[in-house]
Amino acid sequence: MNYNNIMKKKRFYAHLVETSSITVELADMELSQEERLHLLNLVNSNIHNSVLETVLSNLASEDKKIFLANLHSNDHDKIWSHLKSKIENIEEKIKESIEDLKKELQKDIAEAKKAI
Amino acid sequence: MCYYFYRMDFKKPHYRHLAEKWAKRNENYIQKLINEHKEAFEWLAQNTKKLAISSLAGLFIISSPLIAKLTPTTVSAEKSIDRNVFLVSDLSHVLPDEVGPLSEFREKEVEEILERTFKLKIKAQLNGIRLNTTYGKIGAEQHLSRYPGDNIVTHLDSEEEAKEYWSAGMAPGLGGWGYFADSQSETTEKEKMREKYYIAVQAFLAPGFNEDRQRYLDFFKFRKMLVVNPHNGKAVVAVIGDAGPAAWTGKQLGGSPEVMKYLQRYDGRQVRGVLYFFIDDPNDEVPLGPLE
Repeated sequence: MNYNNIMKKKRFYAHLVETSSITVELADMELSQEERLHLLNLVNSNIHNSVLETVLSNLASEDKKIFLANLHSNDHDKIWSHLKSKIENIEEKIKESIEDLKKELQKDIAEAKKAI
Repeated sequence: MCYYFYRMDFKKPHYRHLAEKWAKRNENYIQKLINEHKEAFEWLAQNTKKLAISSLAGLFIISSPLIAKLTPTTVSAEKSIDRNVFLVSDLSHVLPDEVGPLSEFREKEVEEILERTFKLKIKAQLNGIRLNTTYGKIGAEQHLSRYPGDNIVTHLDSEEEAKEYWSAGMAPGLGGWGYFADSQSETTEKEKMREKYYIAVQAFLAPGFNEDRQRYLDFFKFRKMLVVNPHNGKAVVAVIGDAGPAAWTGKQLGGSPEVMKYLQRYDGRQVRGVLYFFIDDPNDEVPLGPLE
């Protein structure tokens, strides 16, 4: 099993994400490697889309396009210099959205554990 | 239905619970993103066509389901994005970094992506037979003699072909199944296409081969396969026309000069991976050659 593909593309917000608590929770459940990998991929997709939502909701129309173009070219420096110039405390905002999502995901895991 | 739900009906209830819930949440995010930032995504969809596929392959991080969900006003823009972009993007999420056999789970995901993209019945295993891998490194093969007396001069039909494919040369021996036709006069377009678009696979390494060699050889002979370069999305329908390469080469299959050229795959130090799956085509309806 190759877990590298889960985070094959380093996201611009990678330094703000810490998902070990979820990984540990999943490691604790009776799951096959494939199932675990699938769930971790879903966690990453959810985080990615949650970050997109946070960023886009804080940008004006033309800046959204600039952001998407930068995102598309995966130029982390450009992404951050643009975002920092347009959104106050953007790193905090992204962190907060990720933490909120993680709480939801952990709640889901607790529910799922009851089903075991 | 979201493909995350694929074959979850028989899975553990806690896995199913989480997978369904998280896939649903993801879908909701995507829907919200589209509803609230449609203009920006439409702009992206219209502009990505100007970017090279090679750059999209590794960096297209907006999920294709998101783009695919854009409303009808975006359809023309969506169409203008090369289908290959979606394919490359989708495959990049499921293929491992290293070329090699895929797990059954991954194979199913790849099958689903290829079926959805090409509208063909794609199988890693057909009639109970599978190859040693479905994701392997492809090397360059030479032209094969189609009939007794076929040589490099008779082989190439036009000046253009000669210019393009002369240098590949003729293989010194015959393909794994002998000539494609008994004589030049009996060589039809079908045989010509089979030789043009052939691959060599390690039939001898197929699980179970040694237990029932004749059945396996009959099955593999000119069996249609879909061969896909996962890095540029180029795909070709080819037949198994030869057996090889030897295991020690480090390659798992070979492609005719025409297959290699179309897929933009090269031998030597540039050997890289392709996906190759059987096409379930009992009535011989799928034409050979590139899938444009």
